[in-house]
Amino acid sequence: MKIPACATKAYDRKRQGSGFLLALLLHRKNNPRGMNQSTPELVIDRVSRNLSGRTIIEDLSLTLDRGEVLGLLGINGAGKSTTLRMISGMLAPSSGRVTLGGLDLYANPERARRDIGYLPEEPPLYGELNVEEYLRFCARLHGIAKPAISAAVEKVIERCELGEMRRRLTSLLSKGFRQRVGLAQAIVHEPALIVLDEPASGLDPIQALRLRTLIRTLAEDHAVVLSTHVLSDVLACCDRVAILHRGRLRHSAVLSEIDAGGALRVQIERDVDTDAWMRMAMVASAQVIDARRWRITLKRDSSAGELAKAINDSGFGLLELRADNNALEEIFVRIAGQGDTIEAAA
Amino acid sequence: MSTIRLVAANDIKRQFAQPFAWILLALTCALLAWQFLIALDAYLRIAPKLDALPNSQGATDLIVIPLLRSLSGLLLLIVPLATMQSLAGERRAHTLPLLLAAGIGNLRIVLGKFLGAFVLVALIVLLAACMPLMLEFGTALDLGRLAVSTIGLLLFAASLTAIGIACSAWTAHPALAAAAALIFGSLLAMIDMGARFQGIDNALINWLSLSTHLEPFFFGLLASVDIVYFLLVTLFALLLAARRLDSLRTRG
Repeated sequence: MKIPACATKAYDRKRQGSGFLLALLLHRKNNPRGMNQSTPELVIDRVSRNLSGRTIIEDLSLTLDRGEVLGLLGINGAGKSTTLRMISGMLAPSSGRVTLGGLDLYANPERARRDIGYLPEEPPLYGELNVEEYLRFCARLHGIAKPAISAAVEKVIERCELGEMRRRLTSLLSKGFRQRVGLAQAIVHEPALIVLDEPASGLDPIQALRLRTLIRTLAEDHAVVLSTHVLSDVLACCDRVAILHRGRLRHSAVLSEIDAGGALRVQIERDVDTDAWMRMAMVASAQVIDARRWRITLKRDSSAGELAKAINDSGFGLLELRADNNALEEIFVRIAGQGDTIEAAA
Repeated sequence: MSTIRLVAANDIKRQFAQPFAWILLALTCALLAWQFLIALDAYLRIAPKLDALPNSQGATDLIVIPLLRSLSGLLLLIVPLATMQSLAGERRAHTLPLLLAAGIGNLRIVLGKFLGAFVLVALIVLLAACMPLMLEFGTALDLGRLAVSTIGLLLFAASLTAIGIACSAWTAHPALAAAAALIFGSLLAMIDMGARFQGIDNALINWLSLSTHLEPFFFGLLASVDIVYFLLVTLFALLLAARRLDSLRTRG
């Protein structure tokens, strides 16, 4: 039997015969759901949702582990917010199951939801309360014991850089600070899962940058799901991406795998066709982006230098050659444009 | 229980952080004080003549009970104003997700909201009930009857508050919630009016009326059937509100 790390630490501290038992009890207290470490934190299993006779989400399956950030990408009306509302326990699925740490979110709603921090698209702020009063209320609402509230609130105020605003009424805050207070209420109780609906909407570039950094920091200890239609947010924050379109999962992949596809973006002076590229020995595939821009995938063991030489030898007139960072954008644009099949599953 | 108290305390704090609750409280007290002084003045004018009559009515009958009866009518208007924001306001301000996603049950949210609104309403009733106590300096009041009437008014107010909360759960527009609570509260208070005009006063329709069960309290009668009636109306309305929150989760 493998003894959990927190249990062995407690055992070392006690160094007594009864210490081991106490240590296991402590572990049970720290891990009340008795979760297997290999169990994904969040499991969405064949979830569908109908609203007013219309299918909003159809047969959606996803998993998420602690330490991961999943970006839900989709155009407006794709079903992102509905998915997040189901994950957060706000909305029950019409069919399928959502489990958090092995607990069904609707069979054990009160226990499971204590482990979720949810920031809706519009931060749920009470305008009559100041920032500190509001966060104290949220801390108690999420089940933090009275003696621990002050420490939790101080920690989250520091984490979200709200110190200057702590006495200000939430109704008087700017959009950026409202968003930060909203995020603070979602993490004040250190939930296992943090659900963020369009967290960067309405933020200026500096605020958005800070928010991304904060989300990355949060991902060290939590599982994070965020919805957005801003690709740069996904590229900056997420480990995995799931693209929704018309309520269906159209693409799911690990972000690093999308970027590490070996594709190159090439801009040339001449108009050429696909056959011209395919005649080059190192080219595996060539896909036109627009008139003189191409997305080229190289064969294994070929290099960009070889391609550059071949382009020059062919007289195409090389203007630009760089790694293709826009693979996600292309996938997104293609899916948003149309298409009804699931592209990949990771 | 602690989450119910938490939701209630938050609502009370927010209510009294705004001028609305204070203005409502001040205007209601001013109106009742004005009625009280008019009734007192009228009583003082006829008091010498009443002394000469055998078994004549005293200050309790002629000042205190009319004041409290008048308050019962006023509550039909005031309570919807006190409850309209409780859930409809949360929905309009997009703060309801905070409660729904926090892992507290629908009934607990509703009970917290009910307690939060009832504190303001109960304060109005208790302030109105305290007003006639100053007559104790000049005359002997029937304090038992005053106490029973106050209990009756509190139960009546609790029923109206629960109806207000149920209406507030049904819509995201506080004004619509207030209008619906006023209509349903008034309807339940006057449902037997037509029957009474036709001399029917012991039928099921009379039993359904809020007024039928409030009136005995004004005579100092503390009947369990009336208490149970008010508790049932309150419970039924609160369950409807909880059901509505549940349907918000399941139907969206």
